[in-house]
Parts: sequence; structure tokens; C-alpha cells
Amino acid sequence: MKNEVIVCKDVSKRFETERGVVDVIDKVDLTVEENELVVLFGPGQCGKTTLINVMAGLETATGGEVTVSGKKVEKPGPDRGVVYQTTALFPWLTVMGNVEYGPKSRGISKKERRERAQYYIDLVGLQGFENSFPSKLSGGMKQRVGIARAYCNEPVVMFMDEPFGHLDAQTRYLMQEELMRIWEKEKRTIVFVTNNIEEALYLADRIVVMTNCPTTVKTEYKIDLPRPRDYVAPEFLHLREEISAVVDKTL
Amino acid sequence: MEIDEVNCMKKKNGGKYAAISVLSVALFIFVWWLVSSGLGLTTESTLPGPDVVLKTFIKKLSDPAPDGGTMFQHIGSSLRVAMSGYLMGVVIGTPLGILMAWYKKVDLFARPLFDLLRPVPGIAWIPLMIIMFGIGMTSKVVTVFLAAFVPCVLNSYTGIRQTKDVHLWVGQTFGASNWQMLTRIAVPTSLPLVMTGVRVALGASWTTIVAAELLASTKGLGFMIQQARGIYRPDVIIAGMIAIGAIGALLTWVLTIIEHKVVKGVKA
Amino acid sequence: MGRFNDASKAQKSICAALAIAAFILLWFFATNGTNLGVVLAGPVEVFRKFFVSFVQPLGTHTIPGHILWSLSRVMVGFLAGSALGIVLGVTMGWYRIIDAIFRPIYEMIRPIPPIAWIPLAILWFGLGEVTKYFLIFLAAFGNVTMNAYAGVKSVDPVLIGAAKMLGASDRRVFTSIVLPACVPHIFAGLQIALGSAWATVVAAEMVRSSEGVGWVIITGQDTNNSVQILVGIIAVGAIGYLLAILMRGIEAKLCAWSERGK
Repeated sequence: MKNEVIVCKDVSKRFETERGVVDVIDKVDLTVEENELVVLFGPGQCGKTTLINVMAGLETATGGEVTVSGKKVEKPGPDRGVVYQTTALFPWLTVMGNVEYGPKSRGISKKERRERAQYYIDLVGLQGFENSFPSKLSGGMKQRVGIARAYCNEPVVMFMDEPFGHLDAQTRYLMQEELMRIWEKEKRTIVFVTNNIEEALYLADRIVVMTNCPTTVKTEYKIDLPRPRDYVAPEFLHLREEISAVVDKTL
Repeated sequence: MEIDEVNCMKKKNGGKYAAISVLSVALFIFVWWLVSSGLGLTTESTLPGPDVVLKTFIKKLSDPAPDGGTMFQHIGSSLRVAMSGYLMGVVIGTPLGILMAWYKKVDLFARPLFDLLRPVPGIAWIPLMIIMFGIGMTSKVVTVFLAAFVPCVLNSYTGIRQTKDVHLWVGQTFGASNWQMLTRIAVPTSLPLVMTGVRVALGASWTTIVAAELLASTKGLGFMIQQARGIYRPDVIIAGMIAIGAIGALLTWVLTIIEHKVVKGVKA
Repeated sequence: MGRFNDASKAQKSICAALAIAAFILLWFFATNGTNLGVVLAGPVEVFRKFFVSFVQPLGTHTIPGHILWSLSRVMVGFLAGSALGIVLGVTMGWYRIIDAIFRPIYEMIRPIPPIAWIPLAILWFGLGEVTKYFLIFLAAFGNVTMNAYAGVKSVDPVLIGAAKMLGASDRRVFTSIVLPACVPHIFAGLQIALGSAWATVVAAEMVRSSEGVGWVIITGQDTNNSVQILVGIIAVGAIGYLLAILMRGIEAKLCAWSERGK
């Protein structure tokens, strides 16, 4: 029996705006097991990002609770790494500066954190770019830095909020392969958000289909296909059709 | 200090901070009073208390002593000259900036000359204007014009230049002429920056008229405070400074409202 | 192919030279033996006087001497005013309580232009250097504070969240994220402040001084000497221009990582 790393019980989030009360998350129950790659899949922009933020501690739930490794989540922390859709790299730091930021903030010695950062920079395929600034990198490269930066802190879980959403199709396929390669080498519990069914099926151990605002769990699919997955294999296409039919349609 | 506070939490604490602000201002005025009128640590000819300044301010509104004009007369004089130069600067500077940005030929020849003019602060022109036009209104109006002209040109120039190529291409596919593209696409896009220039020019105009009056004038707020210095009346000086600040703020406020009305919906 | 693509550097230089030459010619003919020429000196006299003044003093100093006097005043006031402005603006932006305490007072004093302080400053500090330092300090402080404040307020909250996610304490977030992020804003404020400081020193010197570029201009007026006035104006403009170029060069180095380094 694998142990449960992330447990969301009855999580709700409501915002008070000038237009009144808005329920963004509605009673979500979710568990994620160790080293599982769970994809939160659903249409639209609202809800899923907030759910990720709540799980990462960047926002607080108004109802229910989230525990990671048994501890209640209240603030962001190094045990929960986040990879952002906008990469959120620190533009005045080099690649090395960004990747080693986490260990540096925690007081790890220069020698040790440099070694660690170098390992992850190599892992994501960016060796040679340690002294480049983010403004000089392509979208795909920037996101690799984001992944390396989150990994370098050696978090227990990683949250990825549509990290490849801003990339062109070609780069996106490449990054999906890269992520799989990285993940196979450094296994981690990952919660991945996307609205792209191909991406979801390519990456996931389990797909959790979410509804749009207010977001809640609609249904789950366990994906048992062997990796690396084939986008055009019959089982892949069959699942794709099935899940696409289930998802809420919104323009 | 948490940046990500929920909106409703911010509102709850807002009252506490507003109270602190009020207290802070009250304390400031109290300390001023204490140091001057209260304990007499400063004399009436160096730092008069807020009560003295207030009394002088009110009195000066209708009293022509000690410089020959009431505060209202001075305000009127300063405003009149400032507005004349300002409007001229806006009316000439804004279209010039637009033309410079749109027509390359104009840019190539006009911009170097403008760049020569630009680093000279408005006030430096005053003596030259006085030699050429005398102490009267003309010299000051021309100086204010120069001070207002520069920011108008600069901002409208930048405003036109940041028109997106994509928008212009859309215009071209609709068969728009060069002139139409300028007036229908570029100028509307430049509106936020044009308004910024108009606002900056207003501040520059007001500052320049005060400076001009400090140097050579027989009326106006600048003249009023300069005279008051000569006869050791800091209460009149401070009253004048308050008037200068208040009117400057008022003008800016009015313009900001106009700016918001004009710029509604136009993305900066 | 953009609509606003610039002409080649060579083309720009040639047209600039032509335009300036045309202007000088116009100036010459407008003042050579005309009525205007009685009041306004022509380019020949002005440029001759300008270069002569590099060796022959105008009053107590040569032109470079006057320029250095003005610049030294600017430096003192500008550095002091900027330093305090950055400190106040940044702390006001980050700590709400400091904002609540200081901002109302600042907003009350801000609308008063530094130039309007001249009479009071002279009354308090006399005709010496302190007056000028004080006025320039005000000019710099006023501009830098607001820009520093805006810089802090405009830091992307996502970046702050990312830093916290990576384990940074609140204090480290402030020093390693907020401060670097608002450098471009602060620098923009410094550029405006320097321009304002230069204008203020000229004004202060014109009102009351015994040397400096402002003095050169105002004594020219006192003696109806348009040549000297124009020499002063050229000096003021040239130094103002050089200062702007200097700041832009520093900005390119400092803010190379942001899109501002244009």
C-alpha cells in the first residue's frame, strides 16, 4: 500500500469581490500517492490554478484542509515546489542564480548548493547556460530553468500549473518528453494541471477530471499504459475520446 | 508583511491605517506649533507657527500689504500668464511631436534641433526673454511656453511611436491612406501618452511661472514670496508656498480627471 | 519591417548637421545688423565668447569653473536627496505602517515646487552653499521617493510567492526580490531627479549666487549682455545633455536584464 502524500479533504475556496461572493473551489476530495503523477484536467482557467495554489500554500482554503506528508498546509514552503505557467523566474539573476535560490535561502553552503544546482541544470539539459539571464532564453529553456529551480530545493511534491501552456506546439511536445525523462531519473510526487487532453494522457498515472468554476472533481481515470506513451496508439486514442466526451464543454 | 492578503482583510485594517495617518498629520502640525508659537523656540521672523500662517493667509486674501497686491490678485496674475504659455505650448507642441514621429523627413531635421532645446531648463531662458521682450508679460509667457512645449512634444512623439505595427497593418489591409492611418489609428493609440505630456507640461508651466516671478516681476505668487523674504515675513512666504502648492495640486487633479475620461478604454 | 524603423546613423547625422547649420545661419542673418541684432547677439560672438571663457574668467571663474561649482552643488544635494528618497519610498511601499505615518505629510509638501522654497531657504540658511544643497535635496528627494514607492508596489506578487515557495523568509524576500525588482523604477526616478536637480541649481544660482552657471546667466541680464546669457544657456544645456547621456549609459548596464535597457 503506497502512502498518501497529499490529502485534500473537503477543500473549498470562496472569494469576496465587489460583485458578491464567488465560489471557486467546491468541496474537493483528492489524494495523491508517493511518486504518483496526477493530472488535474479540465477546461477553462478558473479553479484549477486556485486549487494548486491552495495545495501549495500560496493561498488559504476557506473550507476543508490540505495536508502534505501529514502536516497541514498554511503557507508556501520548500517542501512544495511550484512550476509556474509564466515561469516566474527572477530576471536579475542568472540561470544558476535562479536555480540555487532555494538552497541559498535555506543557508546551504556555497559549494554544496552550487554542486546541487549544477546537477539539476544538467538534468534539464541546460549545461552551458549557467550564466545566462532569463531574458536571453527561449520559452522552453525558461521553463526548464523553472523546473530545475523547483527541483533543486528537493521538495516532497511538485505542483505544475500548465507549465507548457505558453509554448508553441512543437516545443510543447518536446517538453513533455523532457519532463518524462527528468521524472524517470528523479522520481517525485507531481500534481500537473492542464487543459490539453494529449498532454494529460501522455504524462499521467491518473487523470482527475475537474469541472469549471466552481471546480470540483468530476471523475477519475487510472492510466495504465506503458511509458513512453504513443500519441497515436489505439488505447491512447480510445481514452482520449472517452475523456474528451466526459469533460465540460466551455468556450 | 504578507503581500497576498485577501481583499476583505485589507478593508478591515484600512480603518486602523487611516487613523494613523490622521494622527501623523495632527502630530506634525502640533510639533510645528509647539516649536514656534508654543515654546517660542523660533522667532516670528524665522519660523512662525501654523496659527500665524493661517491668520496671514486669510488676511492676505484681501489685504494688499506688504507687497502691493492681494493674494487673489497675485494668484490671478500667475494663473493668467501660466495658462497662456501653457496652452500655446500644448497646442503647438503636441501636433509637432505627432508630426515628428509620423513623418520621417520631419523627424530627421526637427529632432536634432529639439534635442538641442530639450536639456535647457525653462527658467534659464528668462533673462534672455527679459532682454528681448522686457519685464512685462510677454517674456514670461514665452518662457512658460518653452517649458510646456518640451514635455508635450516628447510625450506625443513617444505616444505615436509606440503604435503597434499590427494595428497599422490592419489599417493598410482596409486600404487606409497614410493620413487616415495617422488620424484613425496612431493618434488614438497615442492618447494616453499625449495626456501624460499635457499633465507634465502643466506642472512644468506652474513651476516655471513661479520661478520667473521670483526673478523679475511686479506681481504674481513668485513675486509675493520673494518680496516677503526681503522684509523678513516668513508667514507671508509660507502662506504663498501653500497657495502655490494648493493651486498646482488642484490643476493637476482637474487634469487627471480629464485624463481618465479621455483615456477610458485605451490601453496604455 | 516596422513603420517606425529609424534611418541609418549616417543619414541621421547628416540631416542633423544640416538642420543645425541651417539654424545657425538663420540666427546669423537675423541678428547681423538688424534691429534684433541690437538685443540679441549673433552666433559668431556667442561661440567666440564661449570658447574664450574656457581660459578667460567670467567674473571670478572660467566657464569650466562655473560648471564645476554648479555640479558640485548638484552632487551633494542629489546624493543626499536620492539616498533618503530611496529609503523612504521603499519602506513606505513595503510597510503599511510607515506608509500611513509618512505619506500624508509627504503628499502635503510635495505639490510645493522646490523653486518655491527658495525665499524661505535663503531666509533660513542665508546666501551660502547650504541653501543650495537644501533646495537640490528637495528636488531630488521629491522625485525619487515616489518612484521608489511605485517600484515596490509594482513588484510582481507571483515572484514574491515563488521566493516564499523556495523557502525565503520575509526579510530575504525583501532584500533579494523586492529591492532588485524595483531598481528600474528607482533608476527612472533618479534620472528625473537629476534633471530636476540641475534645473533647480540653475534657478537657485540665478536668484542668489556669486558663481555657477546660473550666476553667469543672471549677471548677463543685469548688464544687458546677451552674449553672456547665451554662453550660460549653452553651458546649462550642454551639461544637462551630458548628464542625461551618463544616466542612460548607467541604466543600460544596471538594468540590462529588464526590457528597459533600450
